[in-house]
Amino acid sequence: MIKRLLLPLLFLSPLANADSGSRLIASGGINGFEGTAGGGITPWAFIGGYTSKEEVNYSANVQYLSLNDYSLTTAGAGISLFDRVEISVQRQRLDISAGLTSNVFALLTDGAVTNANSTTIEQDIVGAKVKLFGDGVFTQNSWAPQIALGAQYKKNRDFDSSLSLPDGTVPLPEVGVPLLLGAKNDSGTDIYLSATKLWLGTPSGYNLLTNLTARYTKANVFGLLGFGAEGNNNAEVEWEGSVAVLISPTTAIGTEFRTQTNRLGGLAEEDTVIDAFIAYFPNKSISITAAYVDLGNLPLQESTSGFYLTVNGNF
Amino acid sequence: MKLLKCIPIAVLALLNILLSGCASTEKQSLYDEIGGHKTLNTVYGVAITRIYTDPVIGHYFKGVPKKHLRDQLVLQTCELIGGPCEYDGKTMLESHKGLNIKEREFYILVEYVQGAMRDVGLTYQQENRILKKLAPIKYETVYL
Repeated sequence: MIKRLLLPLLFLSPLANADSGSRLIASGGINGFEGTAGGGITPWAFIGGYTSKEEVNYSANVQYLSLNDYSLTTAGAGISLFDRVEISVQRQRLDISAGLTSNVFALLTDGAVTNANSTTIEQDIVGAKVKLFGDGVFTQNSWAPQIALGAQYKKNRDFDSSLSLPDGTVPLPEVGVPLLLGAKNDSGTDIYLSATKLWLGTPSGYNLLTNLTARYTKANVFGLLGFGAEGNNNAEVEWEGSVAVLISPTTAIGTEFRTQTNRLGGLAEEDTVIDAFIAYFPNKSISITAAYVDLGNLPLQESTSGFYLTVNGNF
Repeated sequence: MKLLKCIPIAVLALLNILLSGCASTEKQSLYDEIGGHKTLNTVYGVAITRIYTDPVIGHYFKGVPKKHLRDQLVLQTCELIGGPCEYDGKTMLESHKGLNIKEREFYILVEYVQGAMRDVGLTYQQENRILKKLAPIKYETVYL
């Protein structure tokens, strides 16, 4: 799917200079785990890469988040057009250990079944972002931020992929993990509005980035556990924020948060996600970001935290 | 992880220290701090040499005497960063009217000035504080 979407985009390249772009280094942020440019867990109003009004920029990213009995691997690609529009595609894969699925069955069957196979939940995300107004980098004589509006269409690929036991039997046909936990839909669209500002020379001569994002969504755990719930199928506004300081021309440190609604409850109770990151931008073609992420509760893993690593390329 | 919940607080505390460090007792202007006219003159000397030979933006400066441009930029920056100068040349809007300068070209110039500040030995902090003052010029030069 990613290939099919990107191929037509490649034909756009002769339209403009397609290198990593001319904007100031680090001002494109990174591609987060949903493919959208910004921080690791939240979009920014800045368009990814370094495009000016005359340039086109392609991006590719791989990411890994280790969370004990879970691990999340994502990869994707994007295109930024004329510092105005950003389009991205991302594939996410959540691996769930056999120990964890076994516990799910043990709970469901009152201990009759205690051994199940490991499983994965995959999700595809197609994102689009449009810069509405403002220049968060060069309008330094005012507090006005840059504002962007975006959408992420998300399709959970394993909404009804059954869990199997080691002997090959499938006790609950066509019931995937999201469905089992009470999710209603296998797809949904997040709409978000981001306000982002870079404060040059602040604090003490360093550069400070602040971002606030409001997201209107039905997603459970970003959509990895489906969308909506029996009994609560309403979209809600979630809040996300980033604060980062550029401590050198090539290094940013910062922290982020992202609220979740906790629609499913029970095993799938959701908490606010927070992270602390360090991002390294040796040049405009590549960035490497490491973070410590705390997701709070995931099903059968009450306090979930772990290390996140991502490599982003711009070309 | 309780430890991680403390990180936003720790980051804010760090910012606080950085900010209070900024409000030091003596009130020296940024202009004096970097070494005044001599430093700015060197910065723009280095930047202009590179700008004039750049394949993308060099052509805009054909026929503009280097010394004139250098003096104007020094004077203007001096005024913007608290020096004892008063820029009396053409406004940026006037001098860029009709040139239809592209955003990409403006960014290339910014990077030359940034690079010159670094090469001349200004600190990253001084560079950012100067850039903060120069940044709004973008809207007095691009696409006019």
